[in-house]
Amino acid sequence: MIRLNEISRVFTVGEEDVHALDRVTIDIAPGEYLAIMGPSGSGKSTLLNVIGLLDRPDYGEYYLDNVNTTELDDDRQAFIRRHRIGFVFQFFHLVPRLTATQNVELPLILAGVTPKERKERVKKALASMELTNRSDHRPDQLSGGQRQRVAIARAIIMEPGVILADEPTGNLDRTSGMEVMNILEGLNRKGITLIMVTHDPGLSKRAGRRIQMTDGRVSEDTGLR
Amino acid sequence: MLIAMSIGVASVIIFTSLGEGAKNYVTREFSSLGTNLLIILPGRSETTGGPPPLLGQNPRDLTLEDAIALTKSSHIRYVAPITVGSAPVSYGEKEREVIILGSTPNIFEVRQLSTAQGEFLPEGDPSKGAAMCVIGHKLKKELFGNITPLGEWVRIGDRRFRIIGVLAKKGQSLGMDMSDVVIIPVASAQALFNTSALFRVMVQASGNKSIEKAKESIIRIIRERHDNEDDITIITQDALLSTFDRILTTLTLSIAGVAAISLLVAGILIMNVMLIAVSQRRSEIGLLKSIGATNSQVLGLFLVESALLSFTGALLGIIVSFIVIWVFMRMVPAFPVTIPVWGVSAAVGIALSAGIVFGIMPARRASMLNPVDALSRR
Repeated sequence: MIRLNEISRVFTVGEEDVHALDRVTIDIAPGEYLAIMGPSGSGKSTLLNVIGLLDRPDYGEYYLDNVNTTELDDDRQAFIRRHRIGFVFQFFHLVPRLTATQNVELPLILAGVTPKERKERVKKALASMELTNRSDHRPDQLSGGQRQRVAIARAIIMEPGVILADEPTGNLDRTSGMEVMNILEGLNRKGITLIMVTHDPGLSKRAGRRIQMTDGRVSEDTGLR
Repeated sequence: MLIAMSIGVASVIIFTSLGEGAKNYVTREFSSLGTNLLIILPGRSETTGGPPPLLGQNPRDLTLEDAIALTKSSHIRYVAPITVGSAPVSYGEKEREVIILGSTPNIFEVRQLSTAQGEFLPEGDPSKGAAMCVIGHKLKKELFGNITPLGEWVRIGDRRFRIIGVLAKKGQSLGMDMSDVVIIPVASAQALFNTSALFRVMVQASGNKSIEKAKESIIRIIRERHDNEDDITIITQDALLSTFDRILTTLTLSIAGVAAISLLVAGILIMNVMLIAVSQRRSEIGLLKSIGATNSQVLGLFLVESALLSFTGALLGIIVSFIVIWVFMRMVPAFPVTIPVWGVSAAVGIALSAGIVFGIMPARRASMLNPVDALSRR
């Protein structure tokens, strides 16, 4: 369902061209649990951004559900992001002025879902994250783990096929980090493809497949069949 | 920034209201004079619409005969010759110095006067004076209190006049307080003041369209009677009115223009606030994009925000201006300030469009943000 074919992404730093991604080719099947590892600057975040359609590759093709996304315009890409992809960030990226409910509601508003249906779906999503009694709290009234759970609720509210997590536990203590991992893995068991970028070798061992990135290339891929 | 916007809107509304008020004031003053009016002054004034020449040689007086001759023109409905003087008016013990207007019954038509009690001067040969008078409302109060003065005799100067009517209340008109006058037949006034000259002649044209023709025929008739000399000045009310109107409109518009510039400044302030908002909320914008907001959705979001900002400012401005105008009306009740709809709508319109126009740039910047850069911290 995800097929990266010879993807390259080149940044110009000063007078030098830096290959953040250098002819990366990966196939990811639906429902996979994939950990992307590598030192900083290895291109793992860029890879995640390309998969999440936040960044456009300079060369190569990216097929998502057999659609060549590299040919789509910005609005079509936004539509795919909205419906097919959920993001979980290291720094949560919740809107500080909005309550947990309103933060989770945002993607539904962008998609034009009716208020009544929005309310129901948000309630369900927050309940599945055990956040029902926190639904009217703003992010600064929540703990780190709770914030990340709100962010996950927001990521799954559109029922995406893929969740992209960029260091989801990077800003959390060990206990809430484990909690968040369990939730994400639980989602993966329900069939959602989970792609996670992490520094932590301990976390990556939990994943079914590991990809090691070095200097913009895939240097190791445990799951390649 | 909100304050700048509201000040801009408020000043536009206040200035246009004051302008409209001034216009209304002038219009009211003139229309209380009567309609389709021409005023004939003795003497030639080169500047049209200016004040009558106070000094200078007056080659020939306007006489009652001149005035009577004017009635022959078909374009003229009423002719009211006026002699003005001041004389002591006494009744019993009480005496007051008041303005005496000598005229004909036509003055009631021309100046749109009406009586509260009794009747006007009777029609008749204007060159024959009768010993009767119509007194102003205020004078009646001061001389007679609440007693009906009809039929009573008052002494004006060294003559006696019988009161046949009392004028109804009417405000100031062009500086002359019609409640503090005595109107007597023109011939009586000429005898009283021992003059044959008229102060002026007021003429009402037969219609709005015949004002010009009336003017021409007045000039022709008087020229014939004055040995082919144009020694009168004719002021038409409409000419005066339209001059005032033009001046005031120009004034109002130019002040409103200045106020509109302050609105533009407010718009630029809004742009800056929005630019700051965009840079402060980079990560929010990145987030919105990552959860699938299209560029146009982000654009719309920021446009709506700046429109709301300017709308709130405009609303505040309207409230402020209404308060200021209300206070102003309390303080100067004589000045008829009205808030013109066009002033309010123009102010709000400019405010909103300034907000939106100056919101476009920041909103575009927001929508063009690269989500990867926007999401990464710094």
